[in-house]
Order: sequence, then C-alpha cells, then structure tokens
Amino acid sequence: MLKPLIRGSAASGLLVLAALMWQITQAAAWDLQEASKPYSGQTIRMVGEALPPLEALKKMAPEFEKQTGIHVEVEMYEHSEAVNKVQLDLNSHRGRYDVIIQPHRELGKFATNNHLVEIAKMMADPALRDPTFEPEKQLYQTAWHEISWYEGKEYGFPFTVLNMFMWYRSDLLADPKEQAGFKAKYGYDLAPAKDWKQYRDIAEWFYRPDQGFYGTALEGKRHEALWYEWLNFLYSFGGDVLDVKSGSACGPVIVNSPKAVASLEYYKSLLQFSPPDSLNYFWDDVMALMQQAKVAELIMWNDATYAVSVDTTASTVVGKVGFDLVPQGDGGKIGQVEGWTYLIPVYSKNQQAAFLFVQWMMGYDRQLEQHLNGGASGRPDVYASPEVQKLPYAKASMEANEHAVPKATLPQSAEMTDILVRELSSYLAGEKEAQAALDTAATDISTLLGSCAPMTYPAR
Amino acid sequence: MTNRTPSPRGMPLLDRGVGPLLMLPATLLVVVFLVGPFYYMVYTALTDLSFADASHSGSFVGFDNFRKLMRNDPFFWASFLLTLKFVIIAVGLEFLLGFALAFLIFRFVASQRLLTTLLLIPMMIAPIAVGLIWRLLLQGDFGMLTFYMRKVGLLAQNAAVLSAPDLVFPTIVAIDVWQWTPFVTLIMLAGMMSLPRAPFEAAMMDGAKPFQIFRDVMLPLLRPVIALVLLLRGIDAFKEFDKVFLMTGGGPGTLTELVSIYAYRVNFRNWDLGYGAAVAFMIYLVVLILCSVFYKAVYWSSRKPAAAF
Repeated sequence: MLKPLIRGSAASGLLVLAALMWQITQAAAWDLQEASKPYSGQTIRMVGEALPPLEALKKMAPEFEKQTGIHVEVEMYEHSEAVNKVQLDLNSHRGRYDVIIQPHRELGKFATNNHLVEIAKMMADPALRDPTFEPEKQLYQTAWHEISWYEGKEYGFPFTVLNMFMWYRSDLLADPKEQAGFKAKYGYDLAPAKDWKQYRDIAEWFYRPDQGFYGTALEGKRHEALWYEWLNFLYSFGGDVLDVKSGSACGPVIVNSPKAVASLEYYKSLLQFSPPDSLNYFWDDVMALMQQAKVAELIMWNDATYAVSVDTTASTVVGKVGFDLVPQGDGGKIGQVEGWTYLIPVYSKNQQAAFLFVQWMMGYDRQLEQHLNGGASGRPDVYASPEVQKLPYAKASMEANEHAVPKATLPQSAEMTDILVRELSSYLAGEKEAQAALDTAATDISTLLGSCAPMTYPAR
Repeated sequence: MTNRTPSPRGMPLLDRGVGPLLMLPATLLVVVFLVGPFYYMVYTALTDLSFADASHSGSFVGFDNFRKLMRNDPFFWASFLLTLKFVIIAVGLEFLLGFALAFLIFRFVASQRLLTTLLLIPMMIAPIAVGLIWRLLLQGDFGMLTFYMRKVGLLAQNAAVLSAPDLVFPTIVAIDVWQWTPFVTLIMLAGMMSLPRAPFEAAMMDGAKPFQIFRDVMLPLLRPVIALVLLLRGIDAFKEFDKVFLMTGGGPGTLTELVSIYAYRVNFRNWDLGYGAAVAFMIYLVVLILCSVFYKAVYWSSRKPAAAF
C-alpha cells in the first residue's frame, strides 16, 4: 500500500527535479552572444524623450554592442517631438526606428492601427528569450499591463514607470521657527501635508513673494503638464475621467462629476500662492523653481526627482527635499499609472536584434544602473536594492506605484487630453466657470468616444 | 541686299521651340510641391482619414467635414475670429508705424542705407528665435523685460505678461509689430523713392500745401505699393504660428489660439487628418476670398486717379 505511494512520490519528485534541471540547463544554455550571432553587424535605431533615463540607456548601449556586435543608435527629442516623429514614421511605414519609446497613452492608437509587433511571439522563441527574464514575476504587474499591454495583448516592457507625488522642502518644514509660527496661526503642527487642507495651509504660510519665495507652483500652461497635474487632484478627490477599470476600456464619462468640479476649484484656489507666471509653466519650469529653492511644496514627476534631490550640479536643494504621496481626499491614497514603454514597430527590419536589446535592458543590472541615474524602473526588486533605498524618493515612488490609477490609452486618448487641457486652461484663464469647463469637456469626450461613453452627469 | 533665312543653328533657342522645355523644371516643381499637395489636401478633406482611429481609414465622406466645421465647431470659428482680430490690429499698426517711419526717413535722413540695414534686423531673425527671445525676456521669474517693467511700475509685482489674460493678446500683437514694422518701412521707403518728381512739382506750382500734396499726390501714387504691403503682411499674419505657439501654446485658455494653432492641434495632436484638411482648406479659401476682394478694391481704385492724372 505504501510502496506505490512512495514510488509515486519519488516519480513526481524526479519529474519536478528533471523540470528544474531542464530549466537550469536552458538558462545556462541561453547566451546573449550566441543568440545575437545571426544579427551581429545590424544597426538598431531607437527614439525617445531626451531625459536622464534615455541618457543612461545611451551610456549603457556600448556594452551591448561589445557583447553582441549589434550597433545601437539613440535619437533623443523633446516630449512632443519624440511622439510626432514616431507617429509620422509609423504611418509612412518607413521603418526608420527599430525600437520606439513612447508614452503609454499612445498605445491604443498604435495597437489598433497594427503598427506594433506582439512581443509575446518573440518571448515564445527560445532562441531569443532569455529564460532568466520573467516579466510576469519581475515587473510591477499593474503598471506593466497598463503601460505595455493593450486589450489583453503584450506589446513591450516599461521603459519607465512614472508617477507623480508631493515634493516639499523638508528643511523648512523642520525649522523650529517656522513650526512655531505655523502652529500659532493654524493650530496644528507643521508637517508634510496629509490632506488638501494642510496642503493649502502650507502653501499659504510659505507664500512670500516679496522674498521671491512661493507656497506652491502650478503647471498652468496650456500643455499636457496641466492635465497630468490636475489628475492628481481629480483622483484624490474621488473623481475620474471615465468610469472604467482599465486604460483600454471605454465607459461612461464622469469628468464633470461634483467631485471633479470640486477638485478643479480647489486646484485653481492654489494659484494665489503660486508664482505670477504659473499660467505659463509646465514641468520644466516648476522643477527649476524647486532646484532654485523658490518654492515650498508642489506635485511633480518621479523621473525629475533625481535632478532635484541628488544632482548637486543642477540643484541647490539637495538634502533639503522630502517626498510623499499626494495629499489624500475622498479618493484615499492615489498615484497615477504613467510610463514610457519599449515597443517594436512591425516595419522594423531588425526586429529580433531590437528585441534582444530591449530584453537586455530589462535585466536587473541595467535596470538598477538606469534607475540610479535618473530612471524609474518597472522592477520592484530594483526598488528593494540598498542603493535605491538610499535615494530620498524611493519610498514615495514605490508607494505611488502601488496605488496607481490607470488612465485612458484608447486610440482617442490624445484628443481626450487635448480637450481637457483646453477646458482646464480656459477655467484657469477665467474664460469659464469650473462646471461649464468640465461640462464642455465631458460633452466633447462623450461625442468623441461615441455610444460606449454616455454622460453620467448631464451638462448644465 | 538679299534676305537670308537664318540656319536653325543660328536661331535663338527660344525661337526653336525650346522655350516650353526650359519651363519644364519650374513647372514640375510647382506641380509636385504646390498643385499636387493642394489637390491631395482637397481630396483628404473629403475623407475621414485619421492616424489615431483605425476605423477611420480614409473612406470618402463627401462634405461631412465641412458641415461639421460650419455648424458644430465653435472653437474653429473662435480661433478664426481671433486671427482676423490679430491680422487687423497687428497689420494696421505695422502699416501706420512703418509708413510713418518710412516718411520720416525719406524726408529727413541722409544715410538711408545704414538705417534701413539696421531696421532689417528684427525681420531677419527666424520666427522660432523671435519666440524664444521674447519668451525669455518676458519670463515671469527672471525675464529681463519683466524685471524692468516691474521696476518702473508698468507691471504689477504679482503679474506676468504671458500669464495675464488681459495682457497676453496685446503682447503677441506688439511682438509681431516689433518684428514686421521694418518690413513695411522698407517697402514703403522703396515706393517713396521711386515716385516721379513731376506730379509733386506741379502740385507745388499750383500752390498746394504740404498736407495736400501728401494726401492728394503722394498717397494715390503709393496706393499700389500700400496694397501690396498690406496684402503680403495680411497673408503672413494670417498664417502666424511659430512665435505664438512657442510663447503661449495658444493659451492661457483659448486667448491666443490662432487658427493656425488650431489647425496644428487637429492635424498633429489629434491626427484627425480628414477634418484637419477641411480646416486648412477653409483657411485657404477665406484668405483667398479676402485677398482677392481687398486687392481688387485697392487696385481698381488706384487705377482711377492714375488714369485721371
């Protein structure tokens, strides 16, 4: 009775062992140099936004070239230019680029127009797939699925997993004189804002224009930056643009809900504590203000934190800035899913070489190096490393990634953004009231998306 | 003396029928870069082509885009009217200042060549550079002009020109005037210098006063030049894009969203190329109509006094 059981167990054990051995052998057998031999001598050209993560990649590329003989060329452009270059290249079917690094909001447009290689096919090819690379275990799953997948299909891997959170001057908030004055005026201790009332109080307290110092700084220019910034307020107040669970889903438009209107009115109320040119600011401007020690708190991107809190050649506030999640409202703890993703166009003539490079870049060592040089990795194990933990923004980044809210990646997402930017900017400029601006935005978005996007809150 | 028929070798090339052949390169250039794209734009305007939406792959939709433009697009018309306002104010000021400057130089300045060379500087700068220069000068925190304007009390301490809803439009007009007034000056000065002396001498002999000579002799004679300069500047101002886009991006709100910026958004942000082509065609059509009406009006009335004279 016992013997068959022992035999069965032994057989299962052997099978598991064999499977493990096979996997280990495979892992040992796969070698980048061997895998890249057929493609040695090819040149892959990639394009992305001119920011530290891409600069870090460019510095690492020669190592890949040395190992594989595949030459890597990197083109770097300003945000909009990097997007427009790719759009034109894809629609011309020219195949200039072998790897495109794009914001994830563009994904639906590219995927539905069949511009992209489905990466799963390459992942299934044992000649190309590095068995030690296991994205389903090694990446932030929500971020990966939102940033690099569309309608259940896998198109790439995150180049950066971006998020916005609160930056504040930790030295000022810890100053006993400021603390005493603040407590006397507001009746509670000065500390990093946990809710929007505290955030406003701190902005008001530190608003000292006669000294060239401001409580906060809004990104109020008619630019995508305005939309991205306001989304933090919208989500935190418990609102959203569409009532859906994932970025690739279409659903009821709720961007003119009472919560959304309240978030927008609150957002504008901060303008009085922001520098006079705030309606002409986007992310570069507010980052420069923080670098020059001219602002007490603001909400900004994680991929800009390096230049403020680590790079002493660019910032006067290294060691004086703290980072935390955006203050909480009815929506609780929030972050926003955003990121740039590696994608391979179907028109590329060097798709396999491109895949090998992307896969190589996703390896732990490269991810760590890129992250330490201003990147924003999609691998939790990178955040867990002691070197990353030392970075002042590591905790806030991780927490924001864990609470990230998806945003639309539908083919019409660029136009949705454009509509919202226009209406938000109109409200800030005093052309409209908050309700009217968001009603117009909701109506236009509903018309744009069609029958899948009815308006939950009719326009007044 | 006998008549000799010249041999074909001795004939000028044009007489040998080579003329049309010599025009071929220029004709080809015009067809490939102007006529062809224009007809393609007209064709695209009749389709639903979109690079964003895969279901809009360029099917023929007749005049749907134009119907939407005429009936359901208040933002197009708002930007169109704003552009007209920009053209009228900017070109009007440029003309008045340019004309006055040209007249002063014509009458009172001896070394005109040096002065005109100096005047040319703003219009020689690329519009992108002009936008960048002014953006920096007017930057709210460290802009040099902002600093001095605040210092002399022209600007409130808590204001910034490009963020102030009531200042931003006048500012873009002023910058256009700064850049293009010298162009008007130059053309008007050339016009003044080429005027015949006889009508002026006749008017003086008849006892006409200086203002009468200016109004009744100089202005009618300059009318074709005025028409030309207004037409050139009008068309150019209607297409204004670079400077304004760089400085304000069309904002705050829609306060500086000129029609060219609107067309850019439709075409290259939203990639709605069918509708974008309709927008572009509409701009072309309106400019064409305005120009021909304006030019005919001025040219026609400029012929009457000339004939009478």
